Amino acid sequence: MASVRAASRLLSRRAISNIKAVPAAAVQNSRNFHFSIYGKKNNAKVSDDISTQYPVVDHEFDAVVVGAGGAGLRAAFGLSEAGFNTACVTKLFPTRSHTVAAQGGINAALGNMEDDDWRWHFYDTVKGSDWLGDQDAIHYMTEQAPAAVVELENFGMPFSRTEDGKIYQRAFGGQSLKYGKGGQAHRCCCVADRTGHSLLHTLYGRSLRYDTSYFVEYFALDLLMEDGQCKGVIALCMEDGSIHRFRSQNTVIATGGYGRTYFSCTSAHTSTGDGNAMVTRAGLPCQDLEFVQFHPTGIYGAGCLITEGCRGEGGILINSEGERFMERYAPNAKDLASRDVVSRSMTIEIREGRGVGPEKDHVYLQLHHLPPQQLAARLPGISETAMIFAGVDVTKEPIPVLPTVHYNMGGIPTNYKGQVIDYTDGKDRVVPGLYACGEAACASVHGANRLGANSLLDLVVFGRACALTIASEHKPGEKLSPLKPNAGEESVANMDKLRFANGSLRTSEIRLNMQKTMQNHAAVFRTGSVLKEGCDKMDDIYQTLDQIKTFDRGIVWNTDLVESLELQNLMLNAVQTIHSAEQRKESRGAHAREDFKVRVDEFDYSKPLQGQEKKPFEQHWRKHTLSYVDRKTGKVTLKYRPVIDRSLDEEDCAHVPPAIRSY
Amino acid sequence: MFFCGQQPLNMFFLRVWVSASKQAVSRKLSVESVLTGCSRAASGLAADKEPLKKAKTPQGRFDVPEEKSKDVLEKFPDNINPVTKEKGGPRGPEPTRYGDWERRGRCVDF
Repeated sequence: MASVRAASRLLSRRAISNIKAVPAAAVQNSRNFHFSIYGKKNNAKVSDDISTQYPVVDHEFDAVVVGAGGAGLRAAFGLSEAGFNTACVTKLFPTRSHTVAAQGGINAALGNMEDDDWRWHFYDTVKGSDWLGDQDAIHYMTEQAPAAVVELENFGMPFSRTEDGKIYQRAFGGQSLKYGKGGQAHRCCCVADRTGHSLLHTLYGRSLRYDTSYFVEYFALDLLMEDGQCKGVIALCMEDGSIHRFRSQNTVIATGGYGRTYFSCTSAHTSTGDGNAMVTRAGLPCQDLEFVQFHPTGIYGAGCLITEGCRGEGGILINSEGERFMERYAPNAKDLASRDVVSRSMTIEIREGRGVGPEKDHVYLQLHHLPPQQLAARLPGISETAMIFAGVDVTKEPIPVLPTVHYNMGGIPTNYKGQVIDYTDGKDRVVPGLYACGEAACASVHGANRLGANSLLDLVVFGRACALTIASEHKPGEKLSPLKPNAGEESVANMDKLRFANGSLRTSEIRLNMQKTMQNHAAVFRTGSVLKEGCDKMDDIYQTLDQIKTFDRGIVWNTDLVESLELQNLMLNAVQTIHSAEQRKESRGAHAREDFKVRVDEFDYSKPLQGQEKKPFEQHWRKHTLSYVDRKTGKVTLKYRPVIDRSLDEEDCAHVPPAIRSY
Repeated sequence: MFFCGQQPLNMFFLRVWVSASKQAVSRKLSVESVLTGCSRAASGLAADKEPLKKAKTPQGRFDVPEEKSKDVLEKFPDNINPVTKEKGGPRGPEPTRYGDWERRGRCVDF
């Protein structure tokens, strides 16, 4: 069947190359649509309701999933399995999504190495989130974890095994037994050293069993919202420049994180927060965007992280003066201080002008003072890594490093079922027709800080949760609610404006400005003055988007246009991140401020609660940030939403009352 | 003819084109091999005494078995870690020994 499609694509492309600007009506007669599916009812129609310049194709589905990473694939085939006619719209081929880079393991309380209970996993995750995670969502995730891992294993994912043939679990990621009192727990399951890669390929292979329609290399532009209900997605086909409107009653967003707003990040170039931006443009909020997880030693330029084992084995961080600066910031622990202390120290050194390199924006990690055989024995492979990613010989030169973004805890606010919510009149209100899962969503299970090996679990559990929620509330073949014929015309107008943009600043220049500003002002080192300066700079950079200049005027595979669209998305994420960070006047989890070093909760949990007065909602910070952006002016408005403290079933699993977080 | 958009017609054309080109290629190859065979027989007994020297062209390279490229992380015998008895686990030292997930000096999760 694939060859049939390939043949028709080949012939249609040759037909189209001779046609220049073509009105939509003529297109219907002269081309084969490359997505035509042999034997299936082809209900795609061409129309020129929104544009006579671009051919617009309308599709109707029962459910549309945007994004085909771990969460997107799980949601897509969960829906297909339940009988829904599902479309999966993705700008990358599914196995190229960034999930493939998640090589760590996946946590689940299977109890294969010792007696384990998912309630202890629940406690660890709530504590790790610094009590900003919604306990009902965490309850749901940790209770479903063993079933989710067993389900993956049944799909064919080759986990590593113990001698008895059970899944092997190792100690990782701040997991403990008996609510923190029983020592280290072994909960992390893995597939050799490529868990994310294997997960993605397993899910993709499994999804081919069901008849999900894949629309690969379609860039989703916007949500089609009407009367506060989401009625579908409008996307640009990158291959031939046609616009496609996917109408459906249920839309699931699983587009991943937005690491590329920062200068140094571990994410792929495609992690541009498209889902967060689509939701923002629809007038809905994003939650907790200021919580961004950093790692101190990421290679400058490449973004790969160097393990803490380097410092554990004796590696030291040095500045431009050759000084081992960690001695000043942490006299006892020195380079072995905790990650946030090391990140902040590095940033302070760079800010004070003692950075290295032509732009003085990073520091060095020195390993050449250690005996090379010891280095090769304890850290095999590090010399190849340093040579490939940094171009240095680790036995002679130091490695350039700087704090690097790794994960975004924030995203689109959802409840534990995966439905997107908005907070109006003091209550959570479900947005009909819209769901979100994966790193793009904020359920919120990670709260203020994500524990290792929990994010892959988050993907599969909430991907499945979205599919289950849709299956329980809707039926396949439901009639679609009516949609205005000109829905989506602003998105096409915006795209057209970008395609012919002729300002003074290139896309790459604006992007670099944004990345440098975010790295200097909204990274690890956050204080009032630095953040305020950053907010003003980011607002100015947002305005420079009007002066963008693109070069490629074509419509077939216009990467200049797609990069500019991605830049618009990144910019929306960046302004929300920095404004939310500036307003949050406390330190919690990954958001650490120098001027407000303590956590500000409704009670002071470091002292006994007796006799303490509860602070009103406006005066404490144990609450979620909801940020809205006015797209034309770039103005960010912030609201706050309380954290959900009740678990799903208080008798089965009592919620964890807040306490001081110390490890 | 391209306006019709019917799959079977396009498929038919494609198949005809592909099979025609395949036949042409195979005929060409068989002619070539016959010719080489003839020339070898004709060069006489003298040429058979010394082995044919082949240049190190890409074709000649595969005659010499390549030595296995050494990977820094060696595979365990039978893929079973001798210390932890884990089957199918990560190669090399334990990835979580420094508190984060380390692989070849890179940290992939923490």
